[in-house]
Amino acid sequence: MIETFNSLMMGFSVAFQPQVLMYAFFGCIIGTLVGMMPGLGPLAGISLLLPATFGLNPIIAIVLLSGVYYGAMYGGSTTSILMRIPGEAASVMTCVDGYAMTQQGRAGPALAIAAIGSFVAGTLGVIGLMLLAPTLADFALRFGPPEYTALLLMGLFVLAYMSGGSMLKTLAMAVFGLLLGMIGIDVMSGYTRFSFGITELGDGVGIVPVAVGLFGISEILMTAGQADPPKVQQPSLRQLIPTAGDLRHSAAPILRGSLLGFMIGIIPGSAHIISSFVSYGMERRLSKNPERFGHGAIEGVAGPESANNAAATGAFVPMLALGIPTGPVTAVMLAAIMVHGILPGPMLIQQQPDLFWGFVASMYVGNVVLLVLNLPMVGLFVNLLRIPYAYLYPCILAFCIVGCYSVSNNTMDVWIMLAMGVVGYVLRKFGFDLAPVALGLVLGPMLELSLRQALAMSGGEYSIFLHRPIAVTMLVIAAVMLLFAIKPLIFKGKDWRSKVGLDEPADS
Amino acid sequence: MTETQVQQDGGLRSDQASGLTLLALAVWVGWLNLEFPVGTLAEPGPGYVPQLLAVGLGVIGILVAAFGSRSTPLSALPWPEATRALVIMTACVLATYALERIGYRITIAALLVFFLGVIERKAWWMTALVAAVFSLASHYVVGVMLKVPLPRGPWGF
Repeated sequence: MIETFNSLMMGFSVAFQPQVLMYAFFGCIIGTLVGMMPGLGPLAGISLLLPATFGLNPIIAIVLLSGVYYGAMYGGSTTSILMRIPGEAASVMTCVDGYAMTQQGRAGPALAIAAIGSFVAGTLGVIGLMLLAPTLADFALRFGPPEYTALLLMGLFVLAYMSGGSMLKTLAMAVFGLLLGMIGIDVMSGYTRFSFGITELGDGVGIVPVAVGLFGISEILMTAGQADPPKVQQPSLRQLIPTAGDLRHSAAPILRGSLLGFMIGIIPGSAHIISSFVSYGMERRLSKNPERFGHGAIEGVAGPESANNAAATGAFVPMLALGIPTGPVTAVMLAAIMVHGILPGPMLIQQQPDLFWGFVASMYVGNVVLLVLNLPMVGLFVNLLRIPYAYLYPCILAFCIVGCYSVSNNTMDVWIMLAMGVVGYVLRKFGFDLAPVALGLVLGPMLELSLRQALAMSGGEYSIFLHRPIAVTMLVIAAVMLLFAIKPLIFKGKDWRSKVGLDEPADS
Repeated sequence: MTETQVQQDGGLRSDQASGLTLLALAVWVGWLNLEFPVGTLAEPGPGYVPQLLAVGLGVIGILVAAFGSRSTPLSALPWPEATRALVIMTACVLATYALERIGYRITIAALLVFFLGVIERKAWWMTALVAAVFSLASHYVVGVMLKVPLPRGPWGF
C-alpha cells in the first residue's frame, strides 16, 4: 500500500508539470466540445486528434487523449439533458430523465448531478485502476498464448452478450472486424493477404480510418440535410445548485453506478455504452417509485452518468495491464502509445512507471478540471450547439479527411475512411452495431498470433486450452455467455436487453 | 410497423438480405483465401484463421437470415437521406482524388464552397469566408504547427 502511495506521488510529480497540466486541460476542453457535437463522439474525437499526438512525448499524448475521452463523456451528457441529443452513445439513457427534468425547468440540477456523478465515478474508477492494474499485470505475467487466446475469445463473446443489439449481428460484426484485421502481411509466414496488389495495404488496415469512417462519416451521412438545431436552454450558475433532496436521491445511484460501471468497463469486450443501460435498468428496478422513471427522476441521470464514466476508467485496466483494448476507444489509445515504441502489457508498469503513474495521477487532475471548469462554463459551451449543422458538417468532413491523411501522409487512409463511412452507413440502416468491427480489427491480429502460437506449442492439440486452468476458466465463461446469448433465440424468452427497454439495436 | 403488418408484407426482409450478404461475403473471402496455405493444426498457415473466420461469418449469415423472417421488409427500409449522402460521398471522393494533385488548401476550400454554396445554398460571402478561413487555418494548425507534410499543388500552394 505504501509502495502504491509512493508511486502515486511520483505520478503526481509528473501530472503537475505545467506542460502536462496544460495538455490535460486542453484535452478536457476539446473532449467536452467533441462530446457535445452530434456525430463526433469520443472515438471520432480521439481518432482525429491521434495524428496530432505523434510529435508529443508519450505521457503527454496519453494524458491529452484521455482528457478528450472523459471530456467527451461529460459533454455528451450536456446535450442529452438540454436538447435530448446524445452527443455520444453512452448518454442515450441520460436523455430520458435528463430531458424530462429540463422540460420541468430543472436542467440545472440535472447537469449538476451528472457532473457530480461523473466526478465521483471517475475518481472511484481511478482508485480502482490504481489498485487493480498492478495486481492484474503481475497476474498476467503467467499468461501464455493459450491464455491470451482464451481471454480474447471471452472478450468477443462477452461483447456479443452485452451488446445493445442482436447477438448474432454483433458476432457478425466482430467477425467482419477480425477479417479486416487479417488484411496485410502475415507476421508468421510473410504472406501478404487480401491486399489486392495495393502496396499500402501491406501494413494492414489502420484503426483510425476505420473508426473515423464507421463512426464519424456514417453519422454525417445519416444526419446531413437535417434542419437547424432546436433552441437550447442556458441555465445560470445559480440554477445549477441541486437541492438536498436531489443529492439524497442521487447518492446511492451514483455509488451503485460507479461500481457497476467499473466492473463492466474492466471486462474485455464490453462497452461503456452498455453500463449506462444496465445502470438505468437497475435503478428503475430498485426504485420504490419506478413510475417516476421517464418523467424526470434524478436517479435516472445519476446512475447512468456515473456508470458510463466509471466504465470509461475501468476500460484502462486491461488496456494498461494486459495490453488488450476493451473497446474501440481504448484500441485507438493503445495505438497512440505504441506509435511511441511503448508496448502496453504486464511489463509496462515496471518498465515505464512514470508513464503509468503519471497517467493515473493525470486522471485525478482531469476529473477535477472537468468538475471545476465545465459546470460554470456550461452556458458558454452550449453556444457551440447554436452553430447551424449546415456549417458544422462540412467542417467535420474536412477535419476527417485531414486527420486520416495525417496518419501516414497518404490518401490510402482517406480512401479507407470513405469506404468505411459507406459501409457504416449501410450497416446502421440494417440495425448493426458498429463497435465490434473496430474492436475486431484490433483484436484480429492478436487473436491470430496467439492461436497459432498456442497450436504450435501443443503440436496442433486444441486440448492445450483445456489443460491450462486460466485458459479453461475463461473459455467456460465465454461458453456460459454464449449460452445466455442464444437462450432467447431458442426459448423465445426475454433477455436483459428487453428488461432494460433496449429492444432497438444500439447505434455506436 | 405492427407485427401483423410485417407478417402480411411479403418479399425479402432486411435481416434476410443482410444475412445473405454476409454469406456472400464469407464465400468471397473463402474464395480469395484459396491462394494461401491453410497449413496443419500443428503449424497453421496464413490461410488458417481467415478460413475459420469465413466459415464463422457464413454460419452467422445463415442464422441471421433464418431468424430474420420477422424483421422489417427490405422495401420498407427508409432511405430519406440517401440522395444527400450520395452527393456528399461523391464530393469527398473527388476531393480525395484531387488532394495530392492540386494541394490541400485549394481542395479543402473547393470542397467547402461546394458544400456550403451549392448544397446548403448559404450566402456567397459567408461561403467564401468559411472556406478560406477553414482551409488556411487548418493548414496552419496541421501543416505548420503539427508539422504534417500536407500535399501542395503544382503551383506550390
